[in-house]
Amino acid sequence: MPATLKNQAAIVGIGETEYSKNSGRSELALASEATAAAIKDAGLSPSDIDGMTTFTLDTTDEIELARAVGIGDLTFFSRIPHGGGAAIGVVHQAVMAVATGSAKAVVVYRALNGRSGARYSEGVSGGPTTSDLIHWSWYMPSGLMTPASWVAMYSMRYMHETGCTSEDLAEVCIAQRNHAVKNPRAFFYQKPLTLDDHQSARPIVDPLRLYDCCQETDGGAACVIVSPELAKDLPNPPALIRGVSQGAGRDQESMTSFYRPSISSLPEMDLVAKQCWQISGLTPDDIDAAVIYDAFSSIVLWQLESFGFCKHGEAKDFIKDGGLGLGGRLPCNTHGGQLSEAYVHGVNGINEGVRLIRGTSTSQPAKNDHVLVTAGVGVPTSAMILGKA
Amino acid sequence: MSLSGKEREEFEKQLEAYVGIDIGIEDASRDAVNQAMIRQWCEAMGDACGAYTAPEAAAKSVHGEVVAPPAMLQAWILGGVAMATGEDDPRDKQRELHRLFDARGYTGVVATNTEQEYLRYLKLGDRIRARTQIESISEQKATGLGIGYFINTRTRFVDQNDKEVGWMTFRVLKFEAGDQPAAAAESNSAVPAKPQRLRPALGHDNRWWWDCVEKDELAIQRCSACAVLRHPPRPMCGECQSTEWDYVFSSGEGTIHSYVVIRHPEVPGYTYPLVVAVVDLAEGTRFVGNVVDIEPEEVEIGMAVQASIERVDDEMKLPVFRRAS
Amino acid sequence: MSATTIRYEDVSVGDTLPELPIPLTVSLIVSGALASQDYTPVHHDKKAAQEAGMQDVFMNILTTNGLVSRFVTHWAGIDAQVRNVNIKLGTPNLPGDTMTLTGEIKDKDDATATVVVEIAGKNSWGAHVTGTVKLALPQGA
Repeated sequence: MPATLKNQAAIVGIGETEYSKNSGRSELALASEATAAAIKDAGLSPSDIDGMTTFTLDTTDEIELARAVGIGDLTFFSRIPHGGGAAIGVVHQAVMAVATGSAKAVVVYRALNGRSGARYSEGVSGGPTTSDLIHWSWYMPSGLMTPASWVAMYSMRYMHETGCTSEDLAEVCIAQRNHAVKNPRAFFYQKPLTLDDHQSARPIVDPLRLYDCCQETDGGAACVIVSPELAKDLPNPPALIRGVSQGAGRDQESMTSFYRPSISSLPEMDLVAKQCWQISGLTPDDIDAAVIYDAFSSIVLWQLESFGFCKHGEAKDFIKDGGLGLGGRLPCNTHGGQLSEAYVHGVNGINEGVRLIRGTSTSQPAKNDHVLVTAGVGVPTSAMILGKA
Repeated sequence: MSLSGKEREEFEKQLEAYVGIDIGIEDASRDAVNQAMIRQWCEAMGDACGAYTAPEAAAKSVHGEVVAPPAMLQAWILGGVAMATGEDDPRDKQRELHRLFDARGYTGVVATNTEQEYLRYLKLGDRIRARTQIESISEQKATGLGIGYFINTRTRFVDQNDKEVGWMTFRVLKFEAGDQPAAAAESNSAVPAKPQRLRPALGHDNRWWWDCVEKDELAIQRCSACAVLRHPPRPMCGECQSTEWDYVFSSGEGTIHSYVVIRHPEVPGYTYPLVVAVVDLAEGTRFVGNVVDIEPEEVEIGMAVQASIERVDDEMKLPVFRRAS
Repeated sequence: MSATTIRYEDVSVGDTLPELPIPLTVSLIVSGALASQDYTPVHHDKKAAQEAGMQDVFMNILTTNGLVSRFVTHWAGIDAQVRNVNIKLGTPNLPGDTMTLTGEIKDKDDATATVVVEIAGKNSWGAHVTGTVKLALPQGA
């Protein structure tokens, strides 16, 4: 048994569908296409896959997907809850499976008709009486029921405490849009964003405006995870997983952790960051680029603070003057992120992390030894550090 | 039903043939513009403007004589009772286009936009005719109602001298209706006249708290063993693991810890912009609720507020906050 | 109805019109549809409306147009002339509800003495109608 998860597995294949507002096909079809593409990119065949993992929110059953793609016996399958917080949690599952021999090659997948099907922007409502629904019942009657409204609550307090402004949030949006402009997969390909565009866009939930919010997308994304030994025999340069971890913080609620002494930081991401640094032996100075989960612009700032790229409250200064751009201190969301490429629950971000390590991003920084990839926040969450072999 | 890529391509090619064509029939007014129909319209709409029904006032006005309400433009050429009973005119290319959509499963139809331009006000005795052109058909769109296509038409209205008196554009969505209409019809008796706020789901761990709200009390759960207050309620004390608890009533005094102003989306049953705040209650726990009777711009972090239990729609009571006096 | 018509020079961008709440009765919906010669059954026959998926008869578009025009001309007066009504339709107007019309001057065109009034008609389900009305007003002495 390995003592840690450092260098115990690598991402060797990535795949995705086109990202659109109306896929015209089932989520199973999207998952199948993304998975088959990831397996092909890895230089493997479906029968090599023996493990699968995804989000609890995913509607595509593992065994349905396995049958569709031609994957045979499975010795490992699992799911991670809490929406986008699962984005790297699923990688964590795959790495543990590979490291312990529970599986040799694990597919991570996520597919959703997030625009033409069920839309998260429409908010929570009824359903069976679970502890989760009892939880939402503290907020539905007063109308606090969309992701934008929950994140806005933290954002308002954060901005109050730190002096961060809407113009500072725009910096995040513009930096990412500059990357999307060069990425043909991105919804906002060749469509730049100005500060004026950002400031004149309609308010969604104060203090968040339209471009502070991610898109809603139809699409699927998947990747394949194997042991470093197996990776050596495969065609693409592997993205070794230097460290990966999950975290749920004390007094955590799903999106509504409003009862902690401070609501202007992310204790669960602090916990994830601490583990990532411990496992990998790396520090923020070692990170050359990052894919930071961006369902909303403000959450990028808090994660920069969680990972120690800057002190609490100083992210607005860290990102100033193109800090997240290609020439900046931390090139970030080089695919455009979920604000400007597509919202595939962070799994499109995993694929971008792999491209950064391979050197094939459409906004490729010169130095690419280590890339940080994070998952959704406000919920129990996860992150990983990718490195070159 | 969803079309495959190839079927969709063929279907969209069929649609192209309709773009730019005249629908093939002319609508002509059966009666000249007349006082009786104008009066009926004005009574129905509650429109008391003298220009339409009071000859003396109309003569003194900018119009110089009685005129028809401009919004009646299309009324002069509509089919009347025949619309309820009649068959489609087989020459009508617009109906033919709609049937084409119906056959592919796009059976739903809803008008989304209309624009009317009035070049002059119609006078008594005018006779109106209209021709309609299919201007464009959108690419396939994902809409709130379902997948579909927008059809844009333009109708030109002319008078007895063939002079244009106005035009109208119309945008309708033909969409895959699925089973929605039947489902809605079934639930007909359950649909309230007015939308209500979303109700809380009630279970063992929270029903007692809502019962207190019904009795106009804002309760806070208290551990019977270590007396720590906790909210939202949970079945076990996180400090001492006791499952014994009672509750205290909050004074309702508090300060705003953070807040939001929700503007989009607007959910039926709520009034927007909607202010929701995390409030630090005097007792030390927090509570999330609406702040009312205040302009959103005036809300601020640190503001002192006072809770009261109020009815927020026909039935539900909720604690809401107001600026403390 | 205003006794005297509002004059072009007396209004400014940002001025708001007095709100007009309109109780939505079956009588209004049916008489509006029939007065506009629109006998489509969903506007006067509850059973037909229910078969189409609605809980009751609902207002036709011409009535909406008529009410919007009434709202604006009632405020402006007899010498105002409606030039254009451009509306987006939303949630249906059903009996038992109330639609409240609001309006605000968004633009003025001195050359034609025309104002653009942005209007909205909301019922308890949301926006039934939003859009603009172009209105020519009398000008000068």
